[in-house]
Amino acid sequence: MSPYRHSSFWGFIVFNIYVLVSGDGGNLTASEIPPLSSVVLSSAVFKPGLGSVLSLNLLSSFPEDLEISDYCSELLHIFGQRYVAYVNCLVPAARPVKVCQNCFSSYGSLTEIFSNISSDQVGPGNVSCRDSLLRSDRLMLVYELYENLKVLWEKSDCHNCITKGFQNLTSDTLHFMTILNQTLTCFEQYQQKNKTELCTNCKTDYKNLNVLYGGMEKNKTMCIDIEDAMNMTRRLWSKNFNCSFPREETVPVIAVSSFMLFLPIIFYLSSFLHSEQKKRKLIHPNRAKSYSSLMNIQDNRS
Amino acid sequence: MANITKKVSWSSRADESGATGEGTPLLNGSEQPRHSRQDSLRGRPKEIPHNEKLLSLKYESLDYDNIENQLFLEEERRMSHMGFRCLEISRWVVCGLIGFLTGLIACFIDIVVEELAGIKYQVVKENIEKFTEVGGLSISLILWAVFNSAFVMVGAIIVAYFEPIAAGSGIPQIKCYLNGVKIPRVVRLKTLVVKVGGVICSVVGGLAVGKEGPMIHSGAVVAAGVSQGRSTSLKRDFKIFEYFRRDTEKRDFVSAGAAAGVSAAFGAPVGGVLFSLEEGASFWNQMLTWRIFFASMISTFTLNFFLSIYHNKPGDLSNPGLINFGRFETESVAYNLYEIPLFIAMGAIGGLLGALFNVLNYWLTIFRIRYVHRPCLQVMEAMLVAAVTATVSFTMIYFSNDCQPLGPDHTEEYPLQLFCADGEYNSMATAFFNTPERSVRSLFHNQPGTYNPLTLGLFTLTYFFLACWTYGLAVSAGVFIPSLLIGAAWGRLFGILLASITTTGSTWAVPGKYALMGAAAQLGGIVRMTLSLTVIMVEATGNITYGLPIMLVLMTSKIVGDYFVEGLYDIHIKLQSVPFLHWEAPATSHWLTAREVMSSPVTCLNRIEKPAKLCGLILRSQLIVLLKHKVFVELARSRLTHRKLQLKDFRDAYPRFPPIQSIHVSQDERECMMDLMEFMNATPYTVPQETSLPRVFKLFRALGLRHLVVVDDENRVVGLVTRKDLARYHLGKHGLEELQLAQT
Repeated sequence: MSPYRHSSFWGFIVFNIYVLVSGDGGNLTASEIPPLSSVVLSSAVFKPGLGSVLSLNLLSSFPEDLEISDYCSELLHIFGQRYVAYVNCLVPAARPVKVCQNCFSSYGSLTEIFSNISSDQVGPGNVSCRDSLLRSDRLMLVYELYENLKVLWEKSDCHNCITKGFQNLTSDTLHFMTILNQTLTCFEQYQQKNKTELCTNCKTDYKNLNVLYGGMEKNKTMCIDIEDAMNMTRRLWSKNFNCSFPREETVPVIAVSSFMLFLPIIFYLSSFLHSEQKKRKLIHPNRAKSYSSLMNIQDNRS
Repeated sequence: MANITKKVSWSSRADESGATGEGTPLLNGSEQPRHSRQDSLRGRPKEIPHNEKLLSLKYESLDYDNIENQLFLEEERRMSHMGFRCLEISRWVVCGLIGFLTGLIACFIDIVVEELAGIKYQVVKENIEKFTEVGGLSISLILWAVFNSAFVMVGAIIVAYFEPIAAGSGIPQIKCYLNGVKIPRVVRLKTLVVKVGGVICSVVGGLAVGKEGPMIHSGAVVAAGVSQGRSTSLKRDFKIFEYFRRDTEKRDFVSAGAAAGVSAAFGAPVGGVLFSLEEGASFWNQMLTWRIFFASMISTFTLNFFLSIYHNKPGDLSNPGLINFGRFETESVAYNLYEIPLFIAMGAIGGLLGALFNVLNYWLTIFRIRYVHRPCLQVMEAMLVAAVTATVSFTMIYFSNDCQPLGPDHTEEYPLQLFCADGEYNSMATAFFNTPERSVRSLFHNQPGTYNPLTLGLFTLTYFFLACWTYGLAVSAGVFIPSLLIGAAWGRLFGILLASITTTGSTWAVPGKYALMGAAAQLGGIVRMTLSLTVIMVEATGNITYGLPIMLVLMTSKIVGDYFVEGLYDIHIKLQSVPFLHWEAPATSHWLTAREVMSSPVTCLNRIEKPAKLCGLILRSQLIVLLKHKVFVELARSRLTHRKLQLKDFRDAYPRFPPIQSIHVSQDERECMMDLMEFMNATPYTVPQETSLPRVFKLFRALGLRHLVVVDDENRVVGLVTRKDLARYHLGKHGLEELQLAQT
């Protein structure tokens, strides 16, 4: 009886505060403020929000057994820090895409702390943080946050470019990067001069790069960084420098195809003229001696 | 001794050995001179060029009617209750086997085509890439053309020289078989082998064809072979399923085989059953439906299972048919009420284009029958078509400026870059430089914007004429996939245009959806199948939501198309001069009576009185067996221990009865008598002379008759109606017309 009352009471307070906070947020988003000032404002509004959370903490605390342990809150804190670090790394690496090569180490530490949180093993004080942090509520915030980044990581295929344990870039990737740099330097070198010169002089580099990329494509050892870099290089090569193959041999192709198209005409003409037309012998079936049917049909026709 | 009556109508003269030899009467050679005198009186037989208004003597009816003679009754009496049970079980076993083997064949065709086509496209692709760089693309063009011609040459040679009946899709032939026409050699093992080899060659050879139609024929051959428990070609008799060695049982199994073929081709078991129902609808019972469904299911399951092993995913049963339309995702599936008129309009376009296709193909086929009838010419023609197909495809790809970026998941199997920027591919090449099945799938499922309208328009145009030109060549190949492809291309074009001219169109006019409707419309406009095609399309897309639109589209295209010309299969049946009985007698034929329809006089075998009263009916094939076994009354008297002829002896001779020339009847034996009492069917169906044509027609169609005896008031035989007597009336432009009989 009494614990039930307790909980409902706490629930009531939390609900009140929630309404307060969310009301603030609602006001903020609803009002149309120019983007620049919104940054300022939001930080201003954020503070009272933080304050209210603090005040909630001060105001009340859950009984011992429901509270998370210090160890777990420590883990949570570290998770937050690493999360922020990773996101901070990701955003500037969005364009041109360098998310794998720049941020793999911070992702590594993030996974490390998450695996600590989600591991079965009990920390000091005989507590496992997995249940209390990851799945004690509907929102499952920590889990969802981590899961989002994990999806991003998987989508970008970064694991193909990074060695096991997030130590370093793979040698393939490094090799690719060197060749890529070589090609780009070559581009830069000739860019000012003649475009056709660029096409002839950088061809070997570019071709090597293409071959390498083709091989990696086949082995499925590419990540988004490599794909994006290659796409950009290809676009430079074909669109900016216009080095694709020109359509040059229109005449021989037309000649050969019109010859081919001419053949059936000859064939049909010759078979029409020379082949003996197939004739069918008509057979007269035995019928009863009455011509009424034939006459009827002829009547019908006329 | 009983009255012995025997009839030979001209219809049964049509054996393979030709009619002159067959003119020899069965027993007394004295009739021969009289016969020739008659001929000379009529003058020399008229010769005319082949046209559609002929009936060939080559075709006979199948004997669907049970011959209830004394032997039959005796055997039935001897058979225990258990025996009948076993028969029922063995029917199920046979159906299971049919499904299994059909699935295996489909699987074999699919794998071989995929491998060979893979090699071909890989080689050509590498060649093109090489020559794009250094120049000399015309050499790639020649290489491609030579590849195609070489494959097609092999396919055409085996068809033209070894088994001409295996040409085409085989659906018209199976349609005729289920209708009750005995097409010579249509369900033989040799046909199957040639068919399978031929279809592989023609698909790999890059012709505008599909491998789905031949699957139906293959299924039918498998069924006819398995159910007999022996192979006459291999001279092996397994001594099983002997009871099934007659036309009635065989027909049931053949319809199961056709269903299994459809089911393997499209992954549509229900569609297969309905196909058999639609094409062979006159003879049907519920138990048979259930068995056929079983065969279909087994067939699609077998294909699925073995393909999953081939794709290294054993147990993953997601390849139900040879053609896989792929799954339509949920958001693009939705269609709105206001789209239905658009679909109907597409149906009308499909009907028009289908009619155009059929008319063009009709003229082409007539030309082919008249002028391109020598096997070597046929092979050359097929090779030319293959070379031109490659040339046209190459030219289209070469001059196309439609470049699209390579997708992340590489839906294009053999992307050709040619003159596109690096990282892009030529969009025309996905349509042309690919097996037709893959092209259909990419038209259905690629994202909006993958093809630009000009590409689609040009593709539709060229592929339409190529497909029309290809159908009817001496290669075994189907018309389903090309029609689907043409339809999918213009349907997608329709969708794209719709999206661009309407303001909100880009949200609801998903090109893939319109591609599907276009494909249905085009296919419906060409083959004019209704019920089964709807179900096949619904099943192949795995999407029941599209049921209504597809049905409306097919209905419209059939109505519009029928206004101009018949379906492609019906045209080809007509051009082959097959005595095909349609669902109904021609409309204005009630004034025709049996007297006018029948053949007369009938050769009657009798001893006692003349003209004889009807006692029974005996078939030519039975007489031949009797003569072969020398069942003469005199011999039986002299040898008391003479073995009695059993039904088994007739079954052993089935289905290749020897021609009459191979039976030796000595001079003495010509004087002998034969007692036909036991062997004849004592209760044949008869009609009085005044019966109208539609009534006779109904009897034929519903009972699957082969002969119908016309008798007068005193039960004397005055004539005999056979299939050809009925099939010669048809409703033409000027009312009722009569087809002429000809020797082909």
